[in-house]
Amino acid sequence: MRLLVIEDDALIARSLERALAPLGNTVEVFSTHAEARAALRHDRFDLILLDLGLPDGDGLALLAALRDRGDTTPVLILTARDGIDDRVSGLDLGADDYLAKPFSIAELEARVRALLRRSQQRSDNRLRYGRLCFDPATGAATLDDATLALPRRELLLLEGLLLHAGSIAPREALERRLFGFDEVGSNALEVYVSRLRKRLSGTGLRIRTFRGLGYRLEDDAG
Amino acid sequence: MIEVAGSLKRRLAVWLLVTVTGLGALLMIEARVSSQRAAERAYDSQLEAAALTIAEAVQWQQGEPLIEVPAAALQILATRHQERVFYAVLDADGEAVSANLPFAIEPSWRERAAAEPLALTARLDGEAWRLYGREVDSAGWVSQEPVQVWVGHTRAGRMALAGELFERTLTRFVAMVLLAGVLMALALRVALGPMRRLRRVLRRRDADDMRPLDARVPEEMRELAQTLDHLFARQRQSREALLRFTADASHQLKTPLAGLQSVSELALKSEDPADWQAALTTVHEGAGRTSRLAGQLLSLARLRHLGEADEIAPLDLAALLRETLLEWAGREAARDHDLGLAEPPAGPVWVRAEGWAIRELLGNLIDNALRYTPPGSVITLGLERLGGLEVLKGLEGGDPDRERVDEVALFVEDDGPGVPVEARERLLQPFERGGRQDTDGSGLGLSIVDSIAHRLGGRLTLAAREPHGLVVRLHLPLCDPKEAP
Amino acid sequence: MTPRHALHPLLLAMWLALLMMGATPLRAAPTPLVVEAALDREVVAPLLEAFRAAHPEIRLTFRDRSTLEVDALVAEADPAPDVVISSAMPWQMARVNQGYARRLDSPAARRWPAWAKWRDEVFGFTFEPIVMAYRLDLSRHMAPPQTHADLHRLLTTEQDMLEGKVTAYSPLKSGVGYTLYQQDARYTPRFWDLVAGMGRVDAQLEGSTRAMLEGLSEGRYWLGYNLLGSYAMIWAQQHPEVIVQVPKDYSLVMMRMAFIHRDAPHPAAAEAFVDYLLGREGQRVLAGQTPLFSVRPDIVGPYTAARLRDQVGERLFPIPLNASLLAFVDPQRRAAFLERWRREFRRQD
Repeated sequence: MRLLVIEDDALIARSLERALAPLGNTVEVFSTHAEARAALRHDRFDLILLDLGLPDGDGLALLAALRDRGDTTPVLILTARDGIDDRVSGLDLGADDYLAKPFSIAELEARVRALLRRSQQRSDNRLRYGRLCFDPATGAATLDDATLALPRRELLLLEGLLLHAGSIAPREALERRLFGFDEVGSNALEVYVSRLRKRLSGTGLRIRTFRGLGYRLEDDAG
Repeated sequence: MIEVAGSLKRRLAVWLLVTVTGLGALLMIEARVSSQRAAERAYDSQLEAAALTIAEAVQWQQGEPLIEVPAAALQILATRHQERVFYAVLDADGEAVSANLPFAIEPSWRERAAAEPLALTARLDGEAWRLYGREVDSAGWVSQEPVQVWVGHTRAGRMALAGELFERTLTRFVAMVLLAGVLMALALRVALGPMRRLRRVLRRRDADDMRPLDARVPEEMRELAQTLDHLFARQRQSREALLRFTADASHQLKTPLAGLQSVSELALKSEDPADWQAALTTVHEGAGRTSRLAGQLLSLARLRHLGEADEIAPLDLAALLRETLLEWAGREAARDHDLGLAEPPAGPVWVRAEGWAIRELLGNLIDNALRYTPPGSVITLGLERLGGLEVLKGLEGGDPDRERVDEVALFVEDDGPGVPVEARERLLQPFERGGRQDTDGSGLGLSIVDSIAHRLGGRLTLAAREPHGLVVRLHLPLCDPKEAP
Repeated sequence: MTPRHALHPLLLAMWLALLMMGATPLRAAPTPLVVEAALDREVVAPLLEAFRAAHPEIRLTFRDRSTLEVDALVAEADPAPDVVISSAMPWQMARVNQGYARRLDSPAARRWPAWAKWRDEVFGFTFEPIVMAYRLDLSRHMAPPQTHADLHRLLTTEQDMLEGKVTAYSPLKSGVGYTLYQQDARYTPRFWDLVAGMGRVDAQLEGSTRAMLEGLSEGRYWLGYNLLGSYAMIWAQQHPEVIVQVPKDYSLVMMRMAFIHRDAPHPAAAEAFVDYLLGREGQRVLAGQTPLFSVRPDIVGPYTAARLRDQVGERLFPIPLNASLLAFVDPQRRAAFLERWRREFRRQD
């Protein structure tokens, strides 16, 4: 994976590099917008980490320009704590995620992993997570290429979870996906989740419940 | 935003002009009327004189009136203006004893003239004439029938006189108006002097000069000057508070940083990697705490010194809560806790608030909950509609206003160790950490939340849970349903 | 040269010819102007000539009539006359008061002395003294009268010699005569003694100054009273047997009055005439070539008011040109005056 880091603080830049390189990624660091723009013009990257507080220009402008060009490279923006508006505008302009400074390395790694996974999915239109793979076109779910025979609702559930792989799938979204606009009891979704959970037991994958919020597909490992 | 709408000078000028013109018009009308009346009187007196002269020349012969028209009377009638003249001496039947022009004297006129001398204006022979008639009293040896003397002349002279009088008044008036205008312009300048003075005083101040205002102002501007003074005073206070806060914050930051410095210094002296490991752990935690503290200080400062709440608008608290919580729950920091949302009330919950403030507030509450509870703790956030609560608006003495306000309570509850009662009161003060020094919280979180609560017109409460835990409630007034979009 | 170009000068010539032909008839017919005047044509002839010369575009018709005729024409003529001139001041004033006159607004009119005009409608444009006249050979028999008192004395002391040989205006037949007597009567009640005196000598009452002058020249009359000085002076120049005497105690002055008729058919021409009358040019002719005497102070000539004053002194009393004249045409007053006249004339005491 080729990662582009746009960060002017030497200390942070070094830590980013050190943190992300071991994951099997090539990391390029630039400390000015100008250099970054030049790099973006020539190369393609799998993920961009963009610090909004760079002195020589507006990070959001770079992001907007990127998206205007039709470049869909995932972008993770780094903001100072009080730049809440920055964050919101950043996400509006097309950043995929944000991280507030100061951040823990663990958080950073988790976010980067999630983003990379998502972009991987998008590239071949199949939803993947660990050993699971789902082809939205055919509606076939496979575990290690072995077809999983799932009833319709569980399939829909799986698809929903996979779409949000790495982050929490909101319960309303899942309910709408499974039941349409019918009124259902609050337990209805839970039923299907436990069924799917049972199917996935022992596969190293689990579905974590977030009370009142939704569900997330996770690796057992972490 | 300062909008310049009109000008005082222009306003005054316009109003003065309007008044003067209005009054002037009335004055002119009056002048015209009185000029005309004066001219009429002046010329009518000539008619009177001529009539009298002619009347005196009426003589009686055998009961019949005889008149030898005095030439002088006719010249009186003609006046300086050389009017066309008319005279007629009428007998009792209205027949002319002698007349120079064949004008018909109406019977109604003769009747009125019989009672008392009559002056009237009539249109005769295509022109306007002023006629005057009187009955002649005379004595004689034989009783006489009444005789009327009628005289008249054209009106050119009196109209000219009226015009002349009016013109004179008009010129005088115009001159006066011009003079008054000049004087008024001067007066305006003088009257607006205090404003110019004040402006100069203000201009001479430095941009950051917060001292009380030193100026002499007239009564009308007292309020303005006082308001300015209050403004300066508030700014002074504000700046002092900011300076105090900055001093406080700086002190607060220096302490942990000093700690970090000593830890790392000691570790550098050691050769033992275990020591280094321990020291690095401490430094890591300390760094995290310090940077959080710095962030929170900034939030607090912002909240304390923000200006108008200009972005307060109705927003759906339920949706915002869910959104914020979704974000937090997915984070690494929340991995080891069970962070969830309680079943929300049906439908949107509208409050008047700023989005960023609520997010900040939630962030602080959740952060606190995560920090001060052991892994595996259950942290639940939710909303409770509280309707029909009487909220006392306390007024000193007398009946306090009672107002029924619907509220919503945003709560964050955990089953952690909780906070002892005595510490709870102090928790809302900055840098209070409820007696806990073992976590890397900064102690500012609740202070920030409290500030936000106040800003939005709500209040914060802390309570213990059974068997252990803490519930923090933020009460906010619900939006008026009419205002909800 | 193309035929087109050759035509041009030809066309031009034709056009010019047409213009010249048309030009003569284009010099339009002169405007007629009718002036009805109680004013001797011979006396005013130089003025009329001068006017005609100055205004060739106006064809002037001047009609010389009696005062009563002129007054009647003002109201009855159809079409109305353009300009009306008369020596009968009260009658002119009455017509103006009745509204028959039309205002003249011109620089000459504005500059005209205020005491010699009324309403800017009627203008007194002459200044004719009223005189006594006698035959030269009267002086052989008696001292010629120089004042009204002298006259009265002569009528009393030389009653026999002057029997039937005195002439004066008939107040009935002559408007100007009546006016002069009214004015005389205003100044002194002794006027009536004069009337009685004239009655005693059986004075012959004529209707015009000309008739009186003719009589004096023919010898029928030896003495005339209240003649128009203008006519008398001209006559005396040609008839040396007639002597003109401006009375030394007081001499009336008559101003002939002219106005533009309100219904004048040719108002512009009428205005031109009256304007000429009042202007420098007209007044200069008046002062130089007629015995009508100019009123304008800025005119120099033998017949100016100023010169007259120089010659006869300050006791000139112009008949006032104002509304008081109207009293004289009041029928009752006129009747009363004439009645008194008759009474006095026939007085035998």
